[in-house]
Amino acid sequence: MTYFAVVDCDNCYVSCERVFRPDLNGKPVVVLSNNDGCVVARSNEAKKMGIKAGTPYFKLAQQFPDQKIAVFSSNYELYGDLTARVMTIIAQQAPEYFRYSIDEAFVVLKGMEEVDLKAWGENLYKRIKQGVGIPVSIGIAPTKTLAKMASHFAKHYKGYNHCCLIDNSEKRKKALKLYPIDEVWGIGRRYAAKLDSLGIHTAFDFAEKSREWINATFNKVVVLRTWRELNGEDCVPNDEPAKKKSICVSRSFPGMIGDIDQIKSYIANYAARCAEKLRKQNTVASVVGVFISTNPFREDLGQYNNFAEVNLLTPSNSSITIVKKATEALEKIYRTGFQYKRAGVIVMSMDTGGGIQTNFLDYDAEQFEKMKRLDKVLDRLNKVNGTETVILGSQQFRGKDSSGKATRFADAIKHEFKSPNYTTRWSDIIELM
Amino acid sequence: MKSIAILESGFDKELELQIAPELRAGFPSPAEEYLQDSLDFNRDLIKHPESTFYGRVIGDSMVDAGINDGDIAVIDKAREPHNGSIVVAYVNNEFTIKYLDTTHKEEGYIELRPANPKYKPIRIDEGDDFEVWGVVVYTIKPWN
Repeated sequence: MTYFAVVDCDNCYVSCERVFRPDLNGKPVVVLSNNDGCVVARSNEAKKMGIKAGTPYFKLAQQFPDQKIAVFSSNYELYGDLTARVMTIIAQQAPEYFRYSIDEAFVVLKGMEEVDLKAWGENLYKRIKQGVGIPVSIGIAPTKTLAKMASHFAKHYKGYNHCCLIDNSEKRKKALKLYPIDEVWGIGRRYAAKLDSLGIHTAFDFAEKSREWINATFNKVVVLRTWRELNGEDCVPNDEPAKKKSICVSRSFPGMIGDIDQIKSYIANYAARCAEKLRKQNTVASVVGVFISTNPFREDLGQYNNFAEVNLLTPSNSSITIVKKATEALEKIYRTGFQYKRAGVIVMSMDTGGGIQTNFLDYDAEQFEKMKRLDKVLDRLNKVNGTETVILGSQQFRGKDSSGKATRFADAIKHEFKSPNYTTRWSDIIELM
Repeated sequence: MKSIAILESGFDKELELQIAPELRAGFPSPAEEYLQDSLDFNRDLIKHPESTFYGRVIGDSMVDAGINDGDIAVIDKAREPHNGSIVVAYVNNEFTIKYLDTTHKEEGYIELRPANPKYKPIRIDEGDDFEVWGVVVYTIKPWN
C-alpha cells in the first residue's frame, strides 16, 4: 500500500522569525498582518496566553498589560525564502511531493514499502529542524485526509516526536475518536453544522456511518469521498489539497500530448487564469508550482508524474510573471518519451490576514518604487488643487483619517516591527561577534 | 534539538589539518555532472544551498584564525559540528563566531574559544540553554 505524508511547518511565520532570534524560543511571539493590523501568527505560548488570531494590534497591550509579547510585522520575503528551503529538503527526501500552500506539502511515499516510515518522518523532521531551523509536524497514513489528521496529532502531542504514523486500524480508530468532525478535510463548516445536529461530533462518528447513510443524508460526492478516505481508501486526487489552500487551475488535455511546446501553451493558459484569480482576490503569489501527469488508465504506456515550483522573491500577480515562472517550473519536470494527459498550475499566496484589506502593491518592490514616485506627483497635484483632487483607483484603503479623508498610500503601509531580511539582502545578514 | 557530535580527539588548533580533507571532499561530488561547465562557487563549494546562510564578522576575536572584522562567513546549518569546528552560536542574545571545543564534554561543559588572547573562552555548562547554530564552512575576505 502507498502511504501519504503531510508535512506542515509549525506556526510558520513565528518559527521563521525565531530562526534568527533563538532567544525567543519558549516565549510568546506574534506576527502581525501586513500593515500591522492584527495578529496573523502566534507561537504556542501566545496561544496559551489566550491571544486570538485576528486580534487587532492596538488591543494587545490593552488585553495583556504588563506581559512581554514579542511582536513582528510580517516579513514575507523572509518567510518565502525559508519555506522554500524547507520544501527543498522535502523534495530531496521524497519520491514525489506536492506543495499545496506556503507552509504545507504532502509526499507520496511511493516505492517505500520496505522503509520504516516512522523513522523516515523523524529523520525528515531532524533534517528540516537542523538544516533550516524550522520545526515541522509530519502525519503519515494511507490517505491524504488521514495523513492531515495525523499531522494534527504530531503537532499537539509531544510523544509522537513530531511524526505520527497511522498504519493500522486501531491507531486509525483511536485518532478518529479524538478528532473533531469540523477539523476534517473536505467537511467544512457547512457540513459540520449539519453533522453536529445529527449527533456526529467526531471523525469516528462519521466514519462509522454506512455508505448508504452518507449518500442518503448528503448526496454529495465530496462528502462520500471524505468518508471513504477516513476509512482508509485513497481517493483524493493529488491536486485537490492545493485547490483548497491555494489557487489551482488544472485540466485534462483533450488528447495525450508528448510535445513540450504544446504543453507549454496549456500551462500558459492555466497560469494566466491563476494570475487573473489572484488579481481578483487582490493578493499576490510568492510561489508558482506546476504538475504534469501521464494517463494512469493507460497501463500499457510509461507512467510519470511530477511537480516543481519556482519562487518569486518579489511576489506578483502579473500574468506575464506568473506565466514565465510556470514555464520555468514545467521545464524542470518535463521528460521526453511520455504521453501527458493532465497538467496544472498552483499559485500560493501569503496569508496576509483576511480581515484587513490588502493592497498588492505593497509587496512588489518595483511597483512600490513607481508607486512612491506617483505618490509624489499626486501629493503635488493635491497640494496645488486641493485635497483628494486625484486619488488612486488601486488603493482601496478603508483607512480614513479623522476628517474622513483617505489615508495616503505611503502612510498606510506600516511595518514598524519588521525583522531584517537575513537571507535575501546583504545589508541584513546576521552579525557575528 | 540539535546535539553536538563529539569527536574524541583533543582540541586541535592546527586548523589546516581539519579543513583540508573537507575542502577536497567539497569539490568533486556536486561538480561531476557538470565537468564541461565552467567553475561556479555557488554550485561547487556550497554543499547544502538550502541550509547555507551568511553572516558578517564584527570585531577581532578570531584574528589568529585569519578571520577579521568585516569578513563574510558562509554558514552551513546542516553540517554536524565537531570538536575544533569554527561555529556560529547564539550566546547572551547575540550570534558569535568561535572555535568549538568539546574536550571537556565529559566533565560537563564545552567551550567556545576565541582565536585572540585578548578574549576569554565562553564556557557553556551542561543544562545551559545553548545550541550551535551552524558550522562555518568558508569565510570571504574583502582585500580592497
